[in-house]
Amino acid sequence: MADKNAASCATCASPKKKGPCGGKGMLTLKDGVWGINPLAIQVLGICSALAVTNRVETSLVMGAALIFVTVGSNLLVSLLRNYTPHRIRMIAEVAIIATFVILFDQFLKAFYWDLSKQLGPYVGLIITNCIVMGRAEAFALQNPPILSMVDGLANGLGYAAILAIIGFWRELLGTGKVFGLTVLSDHWYAPNQLMVLAPGAFFMLGAVIALFNAIRGPQEEEDKK
Amino acid sequence: MKGDAYTIAFAGVLGTVCALLLTGAASFTAPYRASNAQAEEVLNILTALGVPFDQGASAQRLVDVFEQNVQERERGDLTVYAYVPEGDQGQPQAFAVRFSGPGLWGPIEGFLALEPDMRTIRAVTFYHQEETPGLGGEISASWFREQFVGKSVVDATGEPGITIGGAAGPNSVNAITGATMTCDKLEAILDGVLQKLVEETNG
Repeated sequence: MADKNAASCATCASPKKKGPCGGKGMLTLKDGVWGINPLAIQVLGICSALAVTNRVETSLVMGAALIFVTVGSNLLVSLLRNYTPHRIRMIAEVAIIATFVILFDQFLKAFYWDLSKQLGPYVGLIITNCIVMGRAEAFALQNPPILSMVDGLANGLGYAAILAIIGFWRELLGTGKVFGLTVLSDHWYAPNQLMVLAPGAFFMLGAVIALFNAIRGPQEEEDKK
Repeated sequence: MKGDAYTIAFAGVLGTVCALLLTGAASFTAPYRASNAQAEEVLNILTALGVPFDQGASAQRLVDVFEQNVQERERGDLTVYAYVPEGDQGQPQAFAVRFSGPGLWGPIEGFLALEPDMRTIRAVTFYHQEETPGLGGEISASWFREQFVGKSVVDATGEPGITIGGAAGPNSVNAITGATMTCDKLEAILDGVLQKLVEETNG
């Protein structure tokens, strides 16, 4: 409902508000986090979401990595959008995305060795994350740099938020802990190891998607299509 | 729309800029990554040997503790790490050797620590394994590793090796239910390193 109103208002509101995003900043931000949330609505990039969410800490770092990459790559792709030859635009996008991913990976390896070890190959695999490529193709190629950054931030935040939610519940139910601190004492709580293993992530992600759809209501889904 | 030459030039420039950025980042972080990797290695050896060190010690501190307490000795093609406590020039208190080999899903790597007699196991630690969590992955669990403590590295007839599962004996430990393949592979890895070690120390 809110989403539909916002979408119709986006064009009419832009002449009044002349911010750095031409008045579309808030809408873009809201879309990424809620309206077209990459994980819960578009169900993109779930591979990493399933792999790294057995603890809150790794989920947050993975979210931060994705925010960094989507913001950076969207900015650069958008800056170069008028100069990039159409035929090689996807290769150019991948090169830009890969650069940001490797920068973040190197940073983790140098300064947060333990986290880097726990995340294993999944930081590097952000290169192939559909969300990043999707935003570059669908948004950054058509929109100005600042707005593209906002879009990258919004989608990154949307991804990170879902990861944090899944990570929180998986760590809590799977180990009785949150951030490594015991919350559910093992005197009366038997950790459910299923939540730590991959199937637990499927259940949690399914629950989150169901919750999103329940709150949004079914109508909008059809409107969008 | 735009010519081929422009396309090639664009690709070339973009590629070069990305490559330069990454080269810069890699050379900037190289010393940090190297010291992290070294600290990791040293930490594994110190843990296996049971050398006391502060939890959460810095990378440099770990390397210092290592250099003060541990001596590397070549025995054939085995590198044996000997724990000689700082200031104590007497007998080593423990030895450790690295073992590695194929597990079920990926390599299994770890250290085997021995008492000074070189015939009794002091500890088994793993620093890398990708076995099935909850099944083969249990080899890293303390209940499984603690079984090895005090076991002999030779069987009743003096044959080097360890038995995982099977009849109780001086060199046998319990296997993990549901992880037969991991246990078999781990047994083969340990047998290999023990064979070499017993040969080297007999001579």
